Amino acid sequence: MDTDKFNHDQSPYERPNFPYRCGRGALWRTPCHNGPKIDGSCGGTRDCEPFFKEDRWLCRREKRFGGACAEGPGPRGECSWQRPPCAPRKTLRVIRGRIAFLAVVAIVALLASSQALNPDGGSGFISLSDAGPLSKAHKKFTEGCSSCHAVYGQGPVGWAKAVFTQLDISERCVTCHSFGGPDSMAHNNDLAKDRVVRKTECIMCHREHSGKKMSTRQSTSEQCNTCHKNKFESFSRGHPEFPDGYPYFDRNAIKFDHGSHLKKHFENPKFTEKAPTSCIGCHKVTLSDREVRPQAYETICVDCHGSQITKKDLVLVRLPELVSDLIDRDALVQACNSLTEEKSDEEFLSVSTEMPALVSAFLLNVPEDDPEIYNQPLQEFIFSMAEESHFSIEDMVNSQTEKPMADQLLEGLNPEVLKRAACSWGLNLEYEPPAEAKFGGWYADMLEVRYKPMGHRDPVAKSWVEFALAVSTIQDDEDKMARAIAMRDQVISPKEGVGGCVKCHAVSETTTIDGKKKLSIEWKYKKANDRPHSNYSHTSHIEIMGNKSSCSNCHILDAKAEYMTSFKGFDASKWSSNFPSIKRQTCVQCHTESQINQDCQSCHVYHLNPGFKKKMVSVKRQMPENKKTQK
Amino acid sequence: MKRVWGYIAIAILFFVLIWVWTLQVDNSLNYPEFISGGALFFVIFILCMFNVRKRLPFLPLWPAHKWFLLHSVAGFLALFLFWLHADVLWPKGLYVQILTILFYGTTLSGILGLIMEKIYPNLLTRVGLECIYERIPRDLAEIRNKAESLVLECTEKTGSDTLAQHYIETLGWFFQRPRFFINNIFGGQNAQTWVMQQCSVLERFLNEAERGYLDQVYVLAETKRKIDFHYSIQTMLKKWLLVHVPLAAAVMTMVIWHLIVIQVFFN
Repeated sequence: MDTDKFNHDQSPYERPNFPYRCGRGALWRTPCHNGPKIDGSCGGTRDCEPFFKEDRWLCRREKRFGGACAEGPGPRGECSWQRPPCAPRKTLRVIRGRIAFLAVVAIVALLASSQALNPDGGSGFISLSDAGPLSKAHKKFTEGCSSCHAVYGQGPVGWAKAVFTQLDISERCVTCHSFGGPDSMAHNNDLAKDRVVRKTECIMCHREHSGKKMSTRQSTSEQCNTCHKNKFESFSRGHPEFPDGYPYFDRNAIKFDHGSHLKKHFENPKFTEKAPTSCIGCHKVTLSDREVRPQAYETICVDCHGSQITKKDLVLVRLPELVSDLIDRDALVQACNSLTEEKSDEEFLSVSTEMPALVSAFLLNVPEDDPEIYNQPLQEFIFSMAEESHFSIEDMVNSQTEKPMADQLLEGLNPEVLKRAACSWGLNLEYEPPAEAKFGGWYADMLEVRYKPMGHRDPVAKSWVEFALAVSTIQDDEDKMARAIAMRDQVISPKEGVGGCVKCHAVSETTTIDGKKKLSIEWKYKKANDRPHSNYSHTSHIEIMGNKSSCSNCHILDAKAEYMTSFKGFDASKWSSNFPSIKRQTCVQCHTESQINQDCQSCHVYHLNPGFKKKMVSVKRQMPENKKTQK
Repeated sequence: MKRVWGYIAIAILFFVLIWVWTLQVDNSLNYPEFISGGALFFVIFILCMFNVRKRLPFLPLWPAHKWFLLHSVAGFLALFLFWLHADVLWPKGLYVQILTILFYGTTLSGILGLIMEKIYPNLLTRVGLECIYERIPRDLAEIRNKAESLVLECTEKTGSDTLAQHYIETLGWFFQRPRFFINNIFGGQNAQTWVMQQCSVLERFLNEAERGYLDQVYVLAETKRKIDFHYSIQTMLKKWLLVHVPLAAAVMTMVIWHLIVIQVFFN
């Protein structure tokens, strides 16, 4: 064996890139000298050839091809013995190529079958275009993949078109999802008016096919920095300082002067027992979130302020000082169904020396300080009350506002009381009520028809405040406007106004859609909603710091703040809080490296008022009924 | 060795570059998957080109050993790029999972192949004999013929058939074809022990003349044992590609399908 014989010209058959190898060699027999041919036939056989030697014909063959044949040539000179050809085998390279080809074919077949037998088609068992399970919410899509992928089920032509068409899956998202602003604008808000901001797509942050939970990108500072002008490293490093007044941007709906209450009233021995011992005495920590709302009036205010509401009446009508008696006595007697009483010849002397009530002065549009002018209209008004009771007032009230308000304003007004008072006043007499008005509601007393609020949330008192505010901004006539304002100021006066509502409830000027300014009273605690992209959870902070002293870590009382002065006007944007603005440094004490996380999304909300389209909500509402019908 | 570190450094640099790029793209709320996916496709393409290069030996396309180095380093680079692209070790979705299985299979077989490529050549060098894989059947046949001729000659000249009988009962089996395959691929010495044992057992039953023939048969058996070792090792060096290449072809097919699906549904 010559183991050094590697030269290609000396070796009969040893190239690995041939498609076949000798079959004999494959069976560990002596391989043929010549390897198989390119077509796979055996190249190693060689027939014996007749050879004349020493007067004899022999059959000979080279030794490497099998050597001389044992049996000589036949009578016709042909050699009979041949070495049978072997069956060449494929080389490893060919086998490898075939396996690789089979692997490709298997994959292609699998893909083809998956497309033909897609589970969504109803007859298949696998889907090789399935990119992963959908989230819990999106799994319920009734239209399957085509709910989001328009090209799904469109066939090869649709697929080919899709390759050359710009698709926007986000367009499909907003068929169900809704936002408080443009869908494809950053933050759903036209915040960067001074520059062009690229269109956003839902899949920039939200990815499907990630399992039960939708994969949502956690925004990092770097990501925010790509668009935001103020670029910074993290909250603790470079985040802009909170704006002045943060987070007390909005004037409170309820006027509660923390300074006077905490430093003055709660320290007064008269109220000490009733006063709360800490913030959570008034603020409801159990339901805290962005705000820790104060508890209801009946829980925290009524102990001290409960009796004040019922003490402040509304004067609807007052018999004023009159200069002459203009009422037709016969008609009055007939209207009042009383005994005939002749007018005396003595000079008329008014039983009242008061001025008319501001409410009636406004309704009659007469000056309350000029008896000469109001003498006649007021007596006509008294006569009409004696004749028709509340109908005349009702008409006058309803004519003041676009939407009739008499039903709310005069609710519970007893026509008989009004009539009797008017009848007395028509005779220039004081009305003598059968008993002192002890309970709340409408009543007449001496020279006045009054309303006594029955307590907190009294609907009539609330309506009168709303009425007074409404009419004070809609008058065209200057004099009437002045009277409306005078009436309003009295009604919303904390000390004299009906129920003293405005002692606690703020009155703010707002602008309507058509640009008109109007005044409205804030009856309910107002949630701050002017920072839709900011988020803060009191709950998590209270959980960490405890619910007793944790408030004062951030909310430090400013006893000198002129809190109540802010409510003298109606401009809610100008006010000073009881608490100085919270600075970023306060938060950085904990939200910093190696302490508590400072991701953007801890405090900021990307979307503006995210929600669902109405059709989604209505579908959801219909669902129980559908279920019932299915049963 | 220096060259390997050069390739590794380039691969690390490439990966870091892609990684930083994806981070930048991610920060700008774009789609980093397109960057990592594009890079991965490029590296897979380079990996596939190694097979093409082997089919075009006549072209001056860089030496094969450099291609091998490039292929090995790019294989590992592809694995890390795959993780960067998928963001998880085991993605969700049937077709991606099939692609992942095939990719991991290809990578694993590649790593096994690389290990063999690093270990086996050293073992072959230590054998002290070189032979061409394709010529092994011919070499074995030649040794077998020589051994059988020696045994026949021994019988004829010494008149004793002890060696012939022993050859028929034991050594004949050994010379028939390559033996001790499994043991050889783990670098075992079973074949050597067996040959020595068979010859030494017989030695005391032979006369001086027969021993001379036995010594010659032993030399042939030793040569045959070394060729067997070559056969086992070279078979492994060639046959691991029967797993690696088809898997790689399947991966490439799935990658093309993946590209189609992405283009259709995510364009």
